[in-house]
Amino acid sequence: MADGATIRDRTAVSGIGVSRFAFAAEETPLGLAAEAFKAALVDAGLTKDAVDGLAINIGWPLGVDYDRFAETLGLRIRFVEQAWTHGRFAGPTLQAAAMAIHTGLATCVACLCGVSFTRERQLLGGPGDFEGTREEGGTHQENPVYGMTAPAAGAALAAQRYFALYGATSQELAAVPIAFRKHALLNPGALMKKPLSLEEHQRSRWIVEPLHLFDCCLVTDGAACVLVTSAERSRDRRKPPVLIAGMQGLRAGRDDVLFGRPGLGLWQQRTFRWTPADDDLLVYRMASLTQRDVGALYTYDAFSPLVWFVLERFGFCGPGEAAKWTQGGRIELGGELPMNTSGGLLSEAHVSGWNSIVELVRQLRGEAGPRQVPGIQVAQWATAWGDSLIFRR
Amino acid sequence: MSGYAKPLPRITPDNGPFWEAARRHELRLQRCLACGQVWYPPAPVCPGCLSDRHQWAPMSGRGTVSSFVVFHKAWFPAFASETPYAVVQVELEEGPRLTANLVDVPPGEIRVGMPVTVVFDDVTPEISIPRFRRAP
Ligand SMILES: [Zn+2]
Repeated sequence: MADGATIRDRTAVSGIGVSRFAFAAEETPLGLAAEAFKAALVDAGLTKDAVDGLAINIGWPLGVDYDRFAETLGLRIRFVEQAWTHGRFAGPTLQAAAMAIHTGLATCVACLCGVSFTRERQLLGGPGDFEGTREEGGTHQENPVYGMTAPAAGAALAAQRYFALYGATSQELAAVPIAFRKHALLNPGALMKKPLSLEEHQRSRWIVEPLHLFDCCLVTDGAACVLVTSAERSRDRRKPPVLIAGMQGLRAGRDDVLFGRPGLGLWQQRTFRWTPADDDLLVYRMASLTQRDVGALYTYDAFSPLVWFVLERFGFCGPGEAAKWTQGGRIELGGELPMNTSGGLLSEAHVSGWNSIVELVRQLRGEAGPRQVPGIQVAQWATAWGDSLIFRR
Repeated sequence: MSGYAKPLPRITPDNGPFWEAARRHELRLQRCLACGQVWYPPAPVCPGCLSDRHQWAPMSGRGTVSSFVVFHKAWFPAFASETPYAVVQVELEEGPRLTANLVDVPPGEIRVGMPVTVVFDDVTPEISIPRFRRAP
């Protein structure tokens, strides 16, 4: 069976950059993306002429599109990939960039996400949430006929189902946002600056019951840029390369649903005791590593239950075990598996996961300051919907 | 019933027969004439065998609540007077799950596993919306 070994460690991240993150930035997504792009060039010690590929996540109307970006920045691009207007495409966007480098379609791909969630807030629920009528099924199980709207609602359905199947509770779920808030407090770039207690979590208003305010990501503006090149080229850049060791794609089908994992029995999923099969863990085989080698795990934490689902999806624990597994500081800095060490979407900023990918690179370069995971060699990006990349120094 | 201000379904060639049946107070879903699979949401082919031959078969209307959420904020203005309101997923006896609302069940009494049965809400002369009530 092809295990992707031919791409293992052949591509690398050679530059990262972010814009400032804000609750209501004056800049447009284009301006924010330009700021992140320029920062990434400085980080890599490159000029814009080195960039011949663009891999864009989000796009208009929440974010910036490839054509306007290339025109605005005066780029000469020969490879473009633009993913759907959803944060779940952070991993697939990086994968497309790595594959383009590996096949020679480009020599340096700028992966970009610049978003203005505060300006385009109406897309996130209510009459402006046009996805609710998408081919008989909203992306997040929206259905405006029944008042079902907003991404949080899909995540809330998944959480309620999980609570009922496994006897898990909202108090246990609170361990996730509390952990990530602790991380944000060590991050000068994070937007949330106050510690979060269990009592505050439980007292906070419902966004969609059973999800509290603090189970839901921030609504912010910002941009991030990740430059991907061949491993060879990355070696003479200013910063040490962060190698892409393995990857696996985004999953889709009737057993998959956004904001859940297989087996839960949401929407049209079958209900069964799902555990990952070999092909669900291709990323480890490709990287020649196991879960035990992962020094820190990064995930798309738009809603706190997604953290439980990714842990079960990638076999860090069994089905139904994540609620207990995440207690006692296990996913905090200093714990067995630190996750989202910059604070994630829940407490740093909502740059559609890209802020966490930038943090992952900082960690592997040893640049994370007070949040540094000591001696970290391997970090993983993995989401509740099954896509993943493993990076190593 | 011209005063109905909530969103109405968008009728398409795929879902037209579902809403025509609902108007007659019948819950009908597609059943594959090749392999027998019953599916939802409405679609042009069977997800089991890709056959495009199907019938719109009557369903029992009986099912159980498989999950639910409660909205405390009204993103849609027309739901504002009803908050907190619940949205449920109902797993039909025949297998597929539908999104719906429950009638006559306060949000605090909804439980996963609760047996329910379909009812139809005539909201306009053209549209009747399937909802569910507690099964007797
Ligand atoms: Zn069939």
